[in-house]
Amino acid sequence: MPEAIEIQLRKGVLELCVLALLAEHDGYAYDIASRLAGAIGMGEGTIYPLMRRLQNEGLVETYLVESPAGPSRKYYRLTAAGRRSFQSQKTAWSAFAGAVEDIVGLNKGGEAA
Amino acid sequence: MTRQAFMARLREGLGGLPPAAQAEIVADYEAHFADGLAAGRSEEAVAASLGDPARLAHELHAEAGFRRWETRRSPSGAAAAVLAFLGLGALDLLFLLPILMAIVGVLIGFGAAAIAIFVAGVVTFVVGPVTGAPGGPVVALLLGLGLITGAASLAALVAIASIGTINASVWYARLHYRVLKPALES
Repeated sequence: MPEAIEIQLRKGVLELCVLALLAEHDGYAYDIASRLAGAIGMGEGTIYPLMRRLQNEGLVETYLVESPAGPSRKYYRLTAAGRRSFQSQKTAWSAFAGAVEDIVGLNKGGEAA
Repeated sequence: MTRQAFMARLREGLGGLPPAAQAEIVADYEAHFADGLAAGRSEEAVAASLGDPARLAHELHAEAGFRRWETRRSPSGAAAAVLAFLGLGALDLLFLLPILMAIVGVLIGFGAAAIAIFVAGVVTFVVGPVTGAPGGPVVALLLGLGLITGAASLAALVAIASIGTINASVWYARLHYRVLKPALES
């Protein structure tokens, strides 16, 4: 089933993608979720269990920003440990993705989609 | 599903978590609905993209249970981890149960053996010297002490193996709900 492997791939890289977005700039959950939902078709609900786990593991921390309208918004930012984890996951991902591309042959001008 | 129905099912599923954690989780999802509506989406669309509230609650529960075990290596922490594991209640976890049962059985056996040896040691230590055991009172005292310390080390080994088993189960369960379950359900 091609869908099964796609979902497995998404789940596997979800944490890496969240860390990457937060490495770019701090963000709030809805923004992160909708960017990932658009880009890799991630279910938006999965973001909250993931953010709680990252917070428990000390990779991200939260702070509140006053909002002119409505309640204050919870922002997430990477901790030093989160930055280190992002770098090592990024390196691992590049090596892995490169090796897979070599084998699958996408980089030889095949049917790259 | 409306916002109200989603939040009601989520709240229901979160029962048993610390009140502060529940409040925080509920606030997260309320904010998500508010942001979604502000972006011009309908309540139904936001609820659909969030997924099944009961399953989200299960995952949050499991993570809380595992977290408790990892911060406090206590019997109640172990119970929380085991309950969280069983709470996920999925098929591929059930495949693992026979193996876990065997391991747990062996651990219980060794635990019982440790208790029996300990009791035998205490009896030898207390009763041996006054009943004229072969070899005299000193031998009985030393033999009793030896059995007691032997039982204590066996119990320590059983404890270490139990902790290892729970850790392995937690690792597998996390792998399960991060990777295996979504794949199996597709």
